[in-house]
Amino acid sequence: MEAVVQEQAVEAVARRRPARVSLEAFTFMSPTMLLVTLFFFVPVLLLLWISLTNLSSNTFGNPLCVGGAREVCEALGIRAGGVEFVGLSNYRRLFADRFFPKILRNTLFYVFSTLALFNVGLALVLALLTTHIERRVGFLFRAIWLLPRITPSVIYIMMWKRIAADAPFGILNQFLMPVGVEPRFWLKEAPWLFVIVTNGFVGASFGMLIFSSAIESIPRDYIMAAKVDGATTLQIIRTIIIPLIKWPLLFVTTYQTLSLLASFEYILLLTNGGPGLYRTEVWSLTAYHRALQTYFGNNQWGYGAAWGFVLVVIGIIFSVIYLRVFRFNELVQEPKIDAL
Amino acid sequence: MWRSRPLWLFVGLLTLLWFVSACAQQQQEPQVVERTVVVRETVPVEQTVVVERTVEVPAGGELVTLVARCKAGSVEQGRCNNLISAVGAANAWLEEQGDDRRIQVKTIQDNKDWGEYKTEFELAFQAGEAPDIIVSGHEHIGDWAPAGMIVDITDMLGQHPEFEDVIDSLWESTTWNGRIWGVPQDAEARPMFFSKPLLRELGWSDEEIESLRDRIFACEFSWEDMMEVATQAVQQGVVEEGNGWWHRPKNGPDFLYYYYAAGGVIQDEQSGDKLVMEKDALLKVYQILYDASQERKILSPNLLGTEWPDWHTAVSSAENVLFWFGGSWNWPEWAANYVADRGGEDYLWENVGFSAIPCLKSGTGKPITLTHPLVYMISTQSEYPDLALLLIAKATTKELNTTYAVESGHLGILKSQADYPPYKAAKFLSEVLPLLEYTTFLPNSPYWSQWSEAYFLGIQSVESGDLTPEEAVEVVIDQLQNELGDNVVIR
Repeated sequence: MEAVVQEQAVEAVARRRPARVSLEAFTFMSPTMLLVTLFFFVPVLLLLWISLTNLSSNTFGNPLCVGGAREVCEALGIRAGGVEFVGLSNYRRLFADRFFPKILRNTLFYVFSTLALFNVGLALVLALLTTHIERRVGFLFRAIWLLPRITPSVIYIMMWKRIAADAPFGILNQFLMPVGVEPRFWLKEAPWLFVIVTNGFVGASFGMLIFSSAIESIPRDYIMAAKVDGATTLQIIRTIIIPLIKWPLLFVTTYQTLSLLASFEYILLLTNGGPGLYRTEVWSLTAYHRALQTYFGNNQWGYGAAWGFVLVVIGIIFSVIYLRVFRFNELVQEPKIDAL
Repeated sequence: MWRSRPLWLFVGLLTLLWFVSACAQQQQEPQVVERTVVVRETVPVEQTVVVERTVEVPAGGELVTLVARCKAGSVEQGRCNNLISAVGAANAWLEEQGDDRRIQVKTIQDNKDWGEYKTEFELAFQAGEAPDIIVSGHEHIGDWAPAGMIVDITDMLGQHPEFEDVIDSLWESTTWNGRIWGVPQDAEARPMFFSKPLLRELGWSDEEIESLRDRIFACEFSWEDMMEVATQAVQQGVVEEGNGWWHRPKNGPDFLYYYYAAGGVIQDEQSGDKLVMEKDALLKVYQILYDASQERKILSPNLLGTEWPDWHTAVSSAENVLFWFGGSWNWPEWAANYVADRGGEDYLWENVGFSAIPCLKSGTGKPITLTHPLVYMISTQSEYPDLALLLIAKATTKELNTTYAVESGHLGILKSQADYPPYKAAKFLSEVLPLLEYTTFLPNSPYWSQWSEAYFLGIQSVESGDLTPEEAVEVVIDQLQNELGDNVVIR
């Protein structure tokens, strides 16, 4: 009988333990959860709400003061303006816009070209190069590559605009004219090239740092053993380094995809979505144009928010895809040695 | 060597701190001016002098600080400065009336883009921090009046006789829904400029060049003729390809007069509050631009997106571009900032001519230009709208406005300026004044911004060659219907 009671007590303790562990875990995570809630979930909910209203320059008021809340707002002295709940009409307008497919295509082209060529591709090449040369030289090279990142965006883009300016201006023209190349407005001739390069030079530095530190942290024994076995550098990279930096690769790819999806400031400053017909207009820039920048300033915050919210959904879809492709669950599993 | 590392770190840190503080001190924009002691007074008729005076508040009286927000380029500082100059007269008027309140004014003045400037006011308004007075484009009345952000001043205007002097037609630009929402601050014309040396190089005689201005007024030299001459200039190598004719390098009010010139109507009695888009006029505009950029090669397909300083540098020298559409305020700007080393305004008179925008075809229609008056508006958040209007009234005088007009290349807004000697003595203003006979305005409508964005989209696409004029019309109409729905009438 006593043994049965003892057994039941042990079972009860065992049942209670996960609860206590999860409570502790939640307590430790609560500051982060609070921050994520305040700075991600609440803004996303607000964005969604605004996208369901007609908030604009000429209806300007508190977007929460619609319908029955209007009277409460007026009683509290909060300006309601002419804001009204319009349901999904902003989304209908968005999907009926004949440039919506083009802007989506532009966005995907911009994100994946910059990501593949620079933010992951070039970053990996730079990390591999700078970790395979003399340590100090590698450090110096990485420090120099960080310069565009610490240069204010406006100055950085102004420099590029002067580089690619129209004839008779343009630094590129000054260099190319003596070798017989006809001066051109390079920024207009190849806008995507400049958009991707300007973003990529800055973006590559992030991955370069992460990959470099990941490569540096690979135990030297592995590399030495491989070399002793006669492996070439390419074989070492392919069979040792790349598999061991899978986690940073997932992180950089996911983070930079989301970052590129939401970034538009360089494009805004460089081409403002042009030339011509939305040639370099990307999704986040359209949201900005709709919500905050037209020449005569009729800001359509409700409509802009609809573009913004769709972008959030696109970002979530990409995140889920990446987590599945890179098998996120396996990456965060407890090492088998610890599990034993 | 390693022992000196802390020292180097310390020196480095100090240098960094010095650099950051130096940068912080450099940030002077927007410029906030708080001056109430400088009052401009006209002593003899032609001279404006600056007199220092302190604001005396009677015992038990109230010193009211009004905040004014202006957008102004380097030669347009008078927009807000005239309000500072009017403080003395406003306080004197209050004293005469036995009112114990006195005014001081704080001005915030910079040269942001219109969109940003307008957004700033709207966000400040929502935060309850809107300035008392804002100077902005008259078309913003179309957004701010229905949103309840600016004061309907129709019934207050009678309190100040200064407003009777404002040119009657300018009140049209400040009217929305039959009520007046602002006081005109300036007006301007948007002429077509031409390079005299390049026309001479093309074989034109001095007589032909000098008579061009009047031939345009008489509709004997048309837009089509201009394009033909520009084509000859490109073909003969007088100017480079793409430099026969330039318009502004960004979106803006100018493009609307193309549509007007093509016979388009944007608002009429039938349409009411709705805006109108007329397909025939739209097609004509796009055909002109497509023809100029893609076929004749007189207009660079890369012109849109050019930086303003590059544009000004290219046109003001009169050596690169044959014809260009600009604004009257460009003249003093070029004289002061672009050709000052060549002789300033004298250089411009010698090398640059101007007239109205020619009529579309010879002998039909009439020349055109567009006026975009800036207006003083009073925020509904102002606690003292009466004092704000008083200050505006005292700034609406021929003395102050003439000083501003002469400095900035803007036209006078008062009837009395026509005979005012300092105004008459300003050669450029006198020469520009006849253009007002052909002027047009932007509409005051809440839908104007979307209309204009869609219209400009078509301009961009035909100039870049992305669309033919017919395709552009289809795209723009589709875009307008999606954006404005029932609020646009397509004809």
